[in-house]
Order: sequence, then C-alpha cells, then structure tokens
Amino acid sequence: MTNSDLDDLFAAVRQQPVAVSDDLMARVLQDAQAEQPVAVGLARPKRRQGFWTGLFAALGGAGGLAGLSTAAIAGVWFGFAQPTALTTVTDSIWQTEVAVETVDILPGFDDYLSEG
Amino acid sequence: MAFDQASDVPDEALLVLYANGDSAAARELASRHLPRVMGFAARMLGGDRAEAEDVAQEAMLRLWRIAPEWRQGEAKVSTWLYRVVTNLCTDRLRGQKRRRAVGLDDAPDVEDGARSVEASLVENDRINALHAALETLPDRQRQAVVLRHIEGLTNPEIAEVMEIGIEAVESLTARGKRSLTAAMAGRRAELGYEEGS
Repeated sequence: MTNSDLDDLFAAVRQQPVAVSDDLMARVLQDAQAEQPVAVGLARPKRRQGFWTGLFAALGGAGGLAGLSTAAIAGVWFGFAQPTALTTVTDSIWQTEVAVETVDILPGFDDYLSEG
Repeated sequence: MAFDQASDVPDEALLVLYANGDSAAARELASRHLPRVMGFAARMLGGDRAEAEDVAQEAMLRLWRIAPEWRQGEAKVSTWLYRVVTNLCTDRLRGQKRRRAVGLDDAPDVEDGARSVEASLVENDRINALHAALETLPDRQRQAVVLRHIEGLTNPEIAEVMEIGIEAVESLTARGKRSLTAAMAGRRAELGYEEGS
C-alpha cells in the first residue's frame, strides 16, 4: 500500500457519492417547508376607521374620555344634591318672592307719549 | 424560479430566494448539498446510516433556519454545512460508549457504476477496508483526512470548518494518511494490491 494507492482509493470513494434515500429527501424538504418564512407580500390594507374609534380619538383617547366622564358625573351629582352653598347663591340672585308684574323698559318716554 | 435555471444560481442567492418563499430554491439547495452532507456524516459516524441521516437532516434544518439571517459573502454554504456536520458528529461520537466496527453491511451504500462485477467487488472491498481503517483514526484526524481527501476541501477551508490553524490541518492530514497506510498495509494481498506496489 503506497501513497498513490491510497490516493486512488480516495478518488474512487469521491466518485461514488453516498446515495440519499427518498425518505430522507422528503423529510428534509418537509423541514424546509415548515421553516420557510412567510413571503413578504403586499402590506395588509389599512382598516377603515369606524365612527366610535374616530370619536374616541377626537376626545383625546382614554385620558380625555376619563376627564369627560368625571365632569359629567360631577354635573349630575350637583344637580341631585343641590349643595346649600349653591342654593344661597342662587336665592340671592333669583328671589322667588319678588313678583314682577310689569317691566317698564323705557320709563323716560312716558312724558312724550301723554296726550294733551 | 424555473427549475432548469436553478443550477446556475449561486447557493447564497438560493438562500435568499428560499427566505423569500421560493420552494424550488429549497429543492435545489437540498439536491446540491444533501448527498455531500449525508456522505460526510456517514463517513464520520463509521457508516451508521440511520444516525448519518439524522445528522444530515439536522444540518439541513439548521440551514433553513439560518437562511433569513444568512450574511452574504462571509462563508460558503458548503463550508458552513461541513462545520455543522462536524460538530454534530463530534457530539454524537462523544456520546457513544464504544465505536462499532465497520462491516460490509455498515459501510455507506454507494451507487453502482457501470463497472464489471469483479472490478466493482474488488473496489468495494478496498473502499470498505478504507472505511474500516478510517474508523481506527482519532476523530480529529479522521475529520481532516475525510475533508481533505474525500470531500476535496482545501486546507484553508478545512481550517475554517474545524476552527483550527492551517498548520494544524496539515499536521492532522499527514498523520492521518500515514496511519491509514499503516493500517491497510497488512491487507495488501487480501485487497488485490500487487507485491511491491
């Protein structure tokens, strides 16, 4: 056995590739299919914005909606509770005991309107 | 991609095509590299065909997984696959308690050529003897010898695959070849080598 014999033997092995079974090829291609990234296609069309989504955004999102709700609830509470302090203020402005029968809009013109 | 054009497409381009969803690219890559990967794994694992198939499948699976992140121009696909197979085989060989001797049935199946029956038998005997002799080499020597003399890689490529220096590759292949010659010397007559050759 010489180096040359060994080289010939290596060459013989090189020329005889190991056979790949159909089963192995099928398994490898199955793996390839399973691992293949999904093709990057057209971007998904943007969904049309609905009315409520638009309104929600217009009110300033969650923060804006929370503020608005708080203000609305406070208003309703004021309406029902009628705090004493507020009654005092409204009574002084709007005295229900005073009956206004006539309102003289232009009292200075009476002299001109009298006959004679 | 038309399949008749695929043979002209470089491996790296096929990987890009595969990563972009082209299934024909996977078929072309598999047909190009799987026989080589399978052969190398079988030679590394002493002809254990079932185990070599598992290694080959695992190596190709890793190729599919890395395809989207493949860095162009850094490594050849074949070199990268050899490295993966080398590592997978090293792990498996480490795990084996004892290595099985290679018999005729265990040697990798080879495709029949159009040779005469007698010549084929002699050559098959010699090839099986070579596989048996390869089995006696230490793992690293066997890897280097197979990569150099059977797979036909250059020393720098082997250095890249085995992650060692070129001088270490030269040393491993030289020592491996000497050991093979010595291991097969006693079977010269049996294998049909003439006296004095």
